[in-house]
Amino acid sequence: MKRGGARLATPLALLAAALALGALATPAAAQKRGGTLTIVRPTDPVSLDPHYETTAPGAWVYSNILESLIAIDEKLELHPKLATSWDVISPTRVRFKLRPGVRFHDGTPLDAAAVKFTLDRALKGTPPGRWASLAGPLAGAEVVDDLTVDVVTSEPFGPILRSLALVYAGIVSPTAVVKAGPDFSRAPVGTGPFKFVEWKTNTHVILERFADYWGDKAPLDRVVFRVLPEEGARMIALQTGDADMVLFPSPIQLAALRRDPKFAVHEATGLRVVFVGMHAKQPPLDDVRVRSALLHAVDLKAILANILEGAALPARGVLAPGVFGFKDMRLDQLYPFDRGRAKALLAQAGWNPGPDGVMQKGGQRLTLTWLAARGRYPKDGEITEAVQAMLRDVGVEAKVEWREWASAFTQFRGDPLSFHLFTLGWVTSSTDADSSLYPLFHSRQLPPGGWNTSRYANARVDTLVEQARRSLNQGERERLYGEAQDLLAKDMVWIPIYNTKEIVATRASVKGFGVHPVEYFLPLGKVWLDR
Amino acid sequence: MSADAARRFGRNRLALLGLALVAGLVLVAAAAPLLAPQDPVKQSLFEKRARPDAKHLLGADEFGRDILSRVIYGTRVALLVGTLAAAIAVVAGGALGCVAGFAGGWLDATIMRGIEILLAFPYLLLAIAIVSALGPGVVNTTIAVGVWGTPTVARMVRASVLALKETEYVRAARALGAGGPALVLRHILPNVLPTLCVYATLFMANAVLVEAALSFLGLGVQPPTPSWGLMVSTGRDVLLVAPHVATMPGLAIVVSVLGFNLLGDGLRDALDPRLRGA
Amino acid sequence: MAGSLTFALRRLLLAVPVLLGVVFIVMLTLELVPGDAVAMMLGEHATKAAVDRLREHLGLDKPLLVRYAQYVGQLARGDLGRSIIQNRPVVDELADTWPATLELTVAALLIAALVGVPAGVVSAVRPNSSFDALARLGSLFGLSMPVFWTGLVLIVLFSLWLPWLPVGGRGSLAHLVLPAVALALPSIAMLARLTRSSVLEVLHEDYVRTARAKGLQELAVVVKHGLRNALLPIVTLVGIQAGQLMGGAVLTETVFAWPGLGRLMVKAIFARDYVLLQGAVLVFALAFVLVNLLVDLSYGLLDPRISRQG
Repeated sequence: MKRGGARLATPLALLAAALALGALATPAAAQKRGGTLTIVRPTDPVSLDPHYETTAPGAWVYSNILESLIAIDEKLELHPKLATSWDVISPTRVRFKLRPGVRFHDGTPLDAAAVKFTLDRALKGTPPGRWASLAGPLAGAEVVDDLTVDVVTSEPFGPILRSLALVYAGIVSPTAVVKAGPDFSRAPVGTGPFKFVEWKTNTHVILERFADYWGDKAPLDRVVFRVLPEEGARMIALQTGDADMVLFPSPIQLAALRRDPKFAVHEATGLRVVFVGMHAKQPPLDDVRVRSALLHAVDLKAILANILEGAALPARGVLAPGVFGFKDMRLDQLYPFDRGRAKALLAQAGWNPGPDGVMQKGGQRLTLTWLAARGRYPKDGEITEAVQAMLRDVGVEAKVEWREWASAFTQFRGDPLSFHLFTLGWVTSSTDADSSLYPLFHSRQLPPGGWNTSRYANARVDTLVEQARRSLNQGERERLYGEAQDLLAKDMVWIPIYNTKEIVATRASVKGFGVHPVEYFLPLGKVWLDR
Repeated sequence: MSADAARRFGRNRLALLGLALVAGLVLVAAAAPLLAPQDPVKQSLFEKRARPDAKHLLGADEFGRDILSRVIYGTRVALLVGTLAAAIAVVAGGALGCVAGFAGGWLDATIMRGIEILLAFPYLLLAIAIVSALGPGVVNTTIAVGVWGTPTVARMVRASVLALKETEYVRAARALGAGGPALVLRHILPNVLPTLCVYATLFMANAVLVEAALSFLGLGVQPPTPSWGLMVSTGRDVLLVAPHVATMPGLAIVVSVLGFNLLGDGLRDALDPRLRGA
Repeated sequence: MAGSLTFALRRLLLAVPVLLGVVFIVMLTLELVPGDAVAMMLGEHATKAAVDRLREHLGLDKPLLVRYAQYVGQLARGDLGRSIIQNRPVVDELADTWPATLELTVAALLIAALVGVPAGVVSAVRPNSSFDALARLGSLFGLSMPVFWTGLVLIVLFSLWLPWLPVGGRGSLAHLVLPAVALALPSIAMLARLTRSSVLEVLHEDYVRTARAKGLQELAVVVKHGLRNALLPIVTLVGIQAGQLMGGAVLTETVFAWPGLGRLMVKAIFARDYVLLQGAVLVFALAFVLVNLLVDLSYGLLDPRISRQG
């Protein structure tokens, strides 16, 4: 599994030559340097140190300041970054060769000790970093020589490389961490194309080009991240030119922006699946026919077209396409929208229409309780309302209990969970099926320890996901995950609704930008302004 | 209201306008099922954000629900939240204020410190606490709004009681041996009542706005219940593309708040002869 | 002057138990409300062990009363602690937000006073005139609209259609205009209404009638007697408004992306970060106490007849 360190030659020289020859026919390709990119987004970071911040508002910023050993590109393929090559030398040990001559923003060199410092701080610190749980059995690093470092795991761990490519695994400058203490969290120092300048809470974060960057230096002079919580205000800022880039643009304005040559809409298929979970141990949902009936009752097309309005894709299973190990469940063929079939399945399970249209069995109404929050995932509240109305159309009465996210979260994590249904989303942030299938569907991953909120239990699925977790043979892993998803598709304990799209709207003058499918990355190192 | 006060009220054009608006709201609320052309919670996704037309006179919202019907049914929610919240604030605040003002001493001091704590306490946390403990919904939102108004009423009533306590006829009643509760009921309460009525009316206006604010933060009345605040707050995201979604419920809020305010102002002017116009 | 000083000191001392009470109730409420700062901060993927370990590290596993005692002990040493979610000194967080809140509050109150008081005076001088009706209706409109609605409309008008003002954020004076106006709208109505009734009340007092009889010009009478005597209730109302506005005008701050105390508080509440919330609440409560004190002290200046009691 050796990877070469070859990198693309810079196109700059060629372009410069082309320009010199007066090749003005391709002005779009003429990269300009300089300028300030202003980005508006809804929330301020919690911190700019992955040790304290695992949510996107912080990661968007620090993913431009810190770099990991391995990079994951827009196609979700792994590439060398701070490591030039790696070898799996035992089932629990991977040896990395570091890129020579790399310096942190504070001038200190990147070496094996810095990698060890970063991983030890995250995994064994007091307390460990907030992303430590995501790292699975990752145990730490050992220095071999100045530019060689071994990353070790406590047991064989299939997703190890993807775990090291996580946005959180960015290597930090040990000197700066020691010097700044807890203040590092507001002035991070890494090796990335941008260095930190200033953060005024709830106003702006400013970054500037790192002049001594080891790779292609960023074309932009500065990046300013501003906070605008209101969607309407963000869109106006884009139109007035107050902002060059909008994160979380208003879905219904995208069509107009696409038509307007002054703007550009960038999108990628995201890694989050938003779903209505079903509690498989709670009657009547312990009957697979009732669960299937609910799946048949939901008109995904209508929801996608009218509520998400092109801002998401229909879910194709419990994983997002692009995730390592994804297999298309073909839900549209397995569970097509068909009210007749839904009612027939309910009838098989003994439920028949009562006087008010709600199904009944032995005098008992088919009433389901539903725990939901609003505003946690795009349009989650609207989806809950729409699905509730659709279930009503097949005689299932769903009673939604709305909770603010923090209290809903506690209940989701709680045991027992006394609701039949719940609206949730799950992002496979490591881009490996392991970080979804294992915590969500393994029978021992019940809350509060894990996230098997559906209380799904299938011994074969347990075996498959365990095996895949421990295997380092990626081909074998892919096959194991495929089989697990086939089984899940038959037992279906979710009503998968949509797969996120990562959408960013910019002014047309913003060039060289590509949306990353992992919602935590916002790569700005190649962005330039054409004005 | 004395005949004198009624006459003063009748001469006040703005007050009459307020009364008319509030009466109109009550009528609409009572006759909602007759007036609303459609089921206010019936979704029809393909008609989402439909512009006003023959089928949807005021257009449709993001679920294709008829906005006119929702605005009409929303009157019920607004009046319910307003009236009930005002009742909670007036009863709880009135009781606390009376006791504090009349008892004096350590009881007064304790109650007033409690009121100060409540005033300095972040209101939103209180709302979240109530909503998390009881779940969001019309009734719980109402409780949150009512509790919000309680300290102000308590302070106001206490001040009036303190002033009344020193008036000659209360002193006389006391000298004649009237006990505490009897004094409060017979002499003090009737004197505080007009102020409370005025306050309650003005508070109803506030209650509608506070409910809207809670909805904005996701802590108010929950869909599909047609609450104006909720409708404006969800419609604001499409303000530029489909302004009608948020505008009609917004106007409904303005009209009702205006009505309650004009009525409250008018009542105060009428009940307090010193404020009679030139 | 010495009297004022002892009065002020006494009031501040009396505020201490109130502040400690507020701290306790805030803590108790967060304890009772479902939701766990640590579990949310570590996110969906966190293991139970990781959550427990961090709770222990932060001392959140200790009983409520122990934590309260610790917090009060810290406070006595002037330490507001570190935010749970951000691991940042609460003092720094408050230093970032408090000036913004103060700036917005002062600006809104100034606008409210400059518009509301004159409008109220004119209404009182010509009660039931068409100006009176118009002023009252107009100001009531300001009071009747949810701020998240007026805010967006203001942005559409003055940032999009007439590109005069920035969309949001804090910095220059231009940034301040829209949020201050939006925040001032309800206060304008309340001040105008109160000024009107206070001036009306005074204008019917005998001594004002005498002044009028003596042939003093109408405006001079109103300003000299009416407004001066109406100042007491107006100052009281301004004080109440100031207290409320400083508590964070959450909605205005959200719509205009103003980095104030209100949003800080909402963030702390939703994240269940009680240390951060305590800090914000304390600042708010203290400001509240101080404003009330200032109002009471100003009574003495405005009307020497008022003696000070408790």
